[in-house]
Amino acid sequence: KLDSTNPFWEAFKAAADELKLKLDCRIFPGGTDSRYVRQVGIPALGFSPMNDTPVLLHDHDEFLSADIFLKGIDIYVKLLTAVANV
Amino acid sequence: MPSDYESDPAVSNLRNYLRIRSVQPNVNYDECLTYLRGQAAELGLPVQVFEPRPRKPILVMTWEGLEPALPSVLLNSHMDVVPVFEKSWTFPPFEAHLENGVIYGRGAQDMKSVAIQYIEAVRRLKAEGIRLKRTLHLSFVPDEEIGGGPGMSQFVKTEDFKKLNIGFALDEGIASATDEYLIFNAERNIWHMTVVCPGK
Repeated sequence: KLDSTNPFWEAFKAAADELKLKLDCRIFPGGTDSRYVRQVGIPALGFSPMNDTPVLLHDHDEFLSADIFLKGIDIYVKLLTAVANV
Repeated sequence: MPSDYESDPAVSNLRNYLRIRSVQPNVNYDECLTYLRGQAAELGLPVQVFEPRPRKPILVMTWEGLEPALPSVLLNSHMDVVPVFEKSWTFPPFEAHLENGVIYGRGAQDMKSVAIQYIEAVRRLKAEGIRLKRTLHLSFVPDEEIGGGPGMSQFVKTEDFKKLNIGFALDEGIASATDEYLIFNAERNIWHMTVVCPGK
């Protein structure tokens, strides 16, 4: 759940706010491994730090710009620090 | 101002991972394991490989936290990618072609980029001498693209998984064409239907 009952989410959100990331929370349109993790009672979030990127998973000419990729590393440095220090 | 992406070690790391043909169906994960063991060795992290199903390995790198008794954080990614119609690609899909600051390749979005971002983030934190409170486990699993049946769905049922003592997990999301980032706290149930057409 994305509320105050999940301290990891609160830490994640606070770090994202600090980075000024605009988040849009949704239900995933497909299926991922997260469902198995959630089934055994572990809260899980699906997140890939790729904005300003056309959705090309499973498509021809799948690509990612190096800038977005490198910025994603900066984002994870902050997010991982936040959730691992809860 | 364009950076020198050709020589950026994180970009090179991603491109090397994209060059491994872990493409469905019937993926041989040996090359992924060799690559990931090399990454773990560079990071100085211990590795465990679990095989709840033969030839369907799950590799876990562990960065122990300052308070290892606390529930850990799982950073999951899958090693496999979906097939390609090579003729429809501008550049060969397993060459990790880099042009004008853009990396082309099967898995660039789904989701080898995320796997390398986890690794590079840990590398940077460690290089800065930072220690985190909770243990981080980086898991690399097989066969997500065919439903995770032999991979994560088996792994979560094992004692080995329970021993990781996971309190929270991150896994893939999806690209967003706008400036917003998408985040998913649930997903649809997938129901496969078989339609039988016996004909006359």
